[in-house]
Amino acid sequence: MDVERRHHNGGGRERHHGGGGDRHHGGGERHHGGGGRFHGRGRKRNFRERGDDDGDHDRRPRFKPRYEEPAASRLRRLILAIAEQPRDGAANEAQYIAKLLNENFEDDLTRKTFFDLVLQAVSEQPLKIPYVAAVILHANETNAEIGKEALERARVRAQFALDSGDWRGFKLVLRFFACLQPMLADDGVFPLLDEVFNRAVDLQTASQEDAVGLDLVKIILLTLPYLLANSPTTWAEKAAELLEKTDIVASAPHPLEPLVESYLGDEDQKPFGFRSFIGLLQKQLAKESENGWELTCLSRPYTDYKKQASEEATAEIPKHALPEITVPSPVNPGRRPVFPETYFSMYADTEIETVPRTDDIAASLIRDATVDTINLLDFNRVTTARFLMEIDCFWAAGTFAKRGTAFDKLKNDEGRTMWKSEDMAVDAIFSQLFALPIPEHKLVYYHAVVTECCKIAPAAVAPSLGRAIRFLFRNIDSMDMELEYRFMDWFAHHLSNFDFRWKWAEWIEDISRPDLHPKKAFLAGILDKEIRLSFAKRVRGTLPKEYHVLVPEGKDKDTPDFKYSSDDVPFAPEARQILDLLKKKAPDSDIQPIIDNIHAQASEAALSDPLVASTDAYMTAVLVIGSKSLSHLISGIERCRERLVSVGPASEAARRQIISSVVDYWRFRPGTAVGVVDKLLNYTILLPESVVLWALGPERLGKGEPLADAWLYEMVSGTLGKVATRVRQIRDALVNARVAGGMPDEQITKLEELLTQERGAMRALFGEVDDSVGGVARGVSEGMLENEADDAITRILRAWGARWARVFRRRAAVEETWVADEAIKAAIEARKMLEGAERRRAEEVAAEEEREEEERVKREEEESRKREEEEERVKRVKMDEGKVEGGEEVKVDMLDVAPDADMVDGS
Amino acid sequence: MLPRDRHTIDRLDKPSSYTTNKSRKRKHRDREGDEPKDRPSELEDKLRDATTLYVGNLSFYTTEEQIHELFAKCGEIKRLVMGLDRFQKTPCGFCFVEYYNHQDALDCMKYIGGTKLDERIIRTDLDEGFVEGRQYGRGKSGGQVRDEYREEYDPGRGGYGRAISDTMQEGYK
Repeated sequence: MDVERRHHNGGGRERHHGGGGDRHHGGGERHHGGGGRFHGRGRKRNFRERGDDDGDHDRRPRFKPRYEEPAASRLRRLILAIAEQPRDGAANEAQYIAKLLNENFEDDLTRKTFFDLVLQAVSEQPLKIPYVAAVILHANETNAEIGKEALERARVRAQFALDSGDWRGFKLVLRFFACLQPMLADDGVFPLLDEVFNRAVDLQTASQEDAVGLDLVKIILLTLPYLLANSPTTWAEKAAELLEKTDIVASAPHPLEPLVESYLGDEDQKPFGFRSFIGLLQKQLAKESENGWELTCLSRPYTDYKKQASEEATAEIPKHALPEITVPSPVNPGRRPVFPETYFSMYADTEIETVPRTDDIAASLIRDATVDTINLLDFNRVTTARFLMEIDCFWAAGTFAKRGTAFDKLKNDEGRTMWKSEDMAVDAIFSQLFALPIPEHKLVYYHAVVTECCKIAPAAVAPSLGRAIRFLFRNIDSMDMELEYRFMDWFAHHLSNFDFRWKWAEWIEDISRPDLHPKKAFLAGILDKEIRLSFAKRVRGTLPKEYHVLVPEGKDKDTPDFKYSSDDVPFAPEARQILDLLKKKAPDSDIQPIIDNIHAQASEAALSDPLVASTDAYMTAVLVIGSKSLSHLISGIERCRERLVSVGPASEAARRQIISSVVDYWRFRPGTAVGVVDKLLNYTILLPESVVLWALGPERLGKGEPLADAWLYEMVSGTLGKVATRVRQIRDALVNARVAGGMPDEQITKLEELLTQERGAMRALFGEVDDSVGGVARGVSEGMLENEADDAITRILRAWGARWARVFRRRAAVEETWVADEAIKAAIEARKMLEGAERRRAEEVAAEEEREEEERVKREEEESRKREEEEERVKRVKMDEGKVEGGEEVKVDMLDVAPDADMVDGS
Repeated sequence: MLPRDRHTIDRLDKPSSYTTNKSRKRKHRDREGDEPKDRPSELEDKLRDATTLYVGNLSFYTTEEQIHELFAKCGEIKRLVMGLDRFQKTPCGFCFVEYYNHQDALDCMKYIGGTKLDERIIRTDLDEGFVEGRQYGRGKSGGQVRDEYREEYDPGRGGYGRAISDTMQEGYK
């Protein structure tokens, strides 16, 4: 019978156009077709028609055509696309989805997938939270169960986030609650905010350097606007009270601020000083509080719809208490050590307001949601870029100028400048690319996001990016050196994705500056990086001829010259012999006599360390056999490893000679030299101390000139990175052992000793770097005479010293937040809390699944029982009627009624 | 992530359909050949902590150093194996990059796959791990199969496909 009916319905295509309810929204074209998917008119007509139908159809259940998309997947599709189309439909859209949900709420699959999805969207797509919340608010009006269930699901998320120290996750669920405030009883979210604030105070009282407490307050402050958006007057007083309390925490300067500033130098020289994110936020909110919480940038899909439909916003909304959420005490600080956060911008507070001023709450709200989007979606950079390019969809109408509006055409009719969404997007990406001390993801992710944005909207993004690049280049001199390096690395990589095209002509003047000048050094560094990703001839071809001095002919050669080819170089014949033997893969015993020969001659010539001379000859020969590629080099090093490893212990000078030989051989390709040194460290042929002392020891450092070489920074930074990674690995092993338990005390003690030892070595190494570059910064390094102190060059050198010093001091401080005893203790506690939370959650899920399974089984039993009963009944009826064959009669009955009704609908 | 959660957006660090199909084919073969049933899941396991990537659509002229420069942005590289023409022993447009960490390989899929190296959009795929022999092209003439019958001219990959240029050669006689 069932099949019969369905077959019949499927046959009548007209059904699709008229008739009852949700059948009509099946097609995909509605979703994909441009704006105005949700014409209120069309829908209303449908519902009215269904009303008409109902009289005729009451007798039989509604059957869905076979080709119709199930409600569950349709809801998923709609929720995921919410607010993404041109914005005038967003308010209707939420209401429509709510209606669809209400109509299908009885369906288990729909209900289950819907709430999973909503909460996942809240955690992954922060820009959509207000819209998703609007759906719940609408649906709750008709069915209080929906509101209740949403709150319960959100509670589970919030609690798990709190317990596991996932502060961003907590922030987003809290925002969801805040957007649901209209359906919350009593004070709604406020008591929870108070609770969070109390924990922040605990943390702040415990330590002056606390940054977790700051983060909590930041979360509170970022929640307030969403809380007040829907009914500012109701909550203004409560908000003001809270703001008064947070002021003292938010406005106090943090002792670690100087370490994470983007620019150095005097306050008036900085293009953009340290702006505490939370400090700005507090001020912006105070301003909003005075202005009656206008919050002009926030979109309010729910209240907008209400106004539009002129319904009374607060009438008869089923209210729910905010579910109970326990803020653990002490809180779980999370896995990443937190530093105070700066608000970074390349466009803010300039004459033409292309992005919100830093005293406008829009600056923080839009930045926060955008940055979260970027960092949450690192697993799909294409989608991230799409969100960034469509960012204007998610904020109140009129917040942004039309996409792609040129910089000089931003003024609207009333003369007000409109914000440029591309500038906001680029600003947000660079705030992460330039996040100090370390961004959340690998830098290359942010490179990739910029690239994708450029692919999606080249004409709109390129001018914004161009202005950013010019701004950054203009301020290179005072930029933190690590940031300068990130800028260099990004710019070269970026250009390599776009045919190496840039308007180089505008920087020609900087080419004539002295090599030590930061701008000139930057240009040299960039071109070197471009060449590494490409080749010299190609890069030269993209540059005006003035730049060609920075791409000398030496860079064209695939393999460098062997300096010992010339007999003018001491020990040339011996070096050539060594090379021949290495090429022939002769045993090391054949090489020893030649080395001895060099040693004898060197002693005769009264060279202080004969091993230095022989090492240069030997190492250079190894480099020649490895010059074809890195693989060749590695196999060469592996063959000669024993001899090379034995050099160091015999003479530290000879060990450093290895580095000199590498850098000299690859002088036209410093990037390769850095790579080779890195490999030699892995083979313990070099030690980190040797690299640091070679790079920054008095012999080479002189007055500090080498500090302008980007590759030297790369080498030192990479070496210290290796050391730090090793210490962190030991630390992680220790933390794991402590958390898991079960490791014998003896082994733990060993780990602890190893940690103490390696950590000590790391600290000493950072100390070494600081002594050298700090000396240059203070102008007391060897080779700097006092009477030179005012000389322009000396000033530049001292600035280089200061920039290096700051980077490595910060690095040292960052490492301490991982491996200092206190940090490890805290990490162990945090991990235990996390594992507890995960365990509890897993148990909950298991219980939930068990319950669902039981319900499912019960339901199935119930259904099959009903089916059997029905069959029984039908059989009985047929028996009673006796003469007529049952099946046929039913069929006739259906044909009688259904088609006619449908035909009427459809026409 | 909580258990049971499903992303709202697809991930870019999944193995390609080529690799998963390979696994499926194997599954198929296993069933026919009565080999141990656990082999396909073995491959899935390998991919679960894969540290190696296959990198395709390279220019024949791209050097190890260039590859290194780009791929090291996702983490330290343990080994780099250039794909070679089986007969000429010259680069033929692909390579294997092996990292120390699985996460670095995933990040590479997410951040580097589909971007340019040496001005070509490169393709990355999670790989079960390099074994000797896989560095050679499997095409008839020694290079990669895809270069055998390619109809477009690609100066970075030896001009026209081998089939076309052979026909041309014949035609000149």
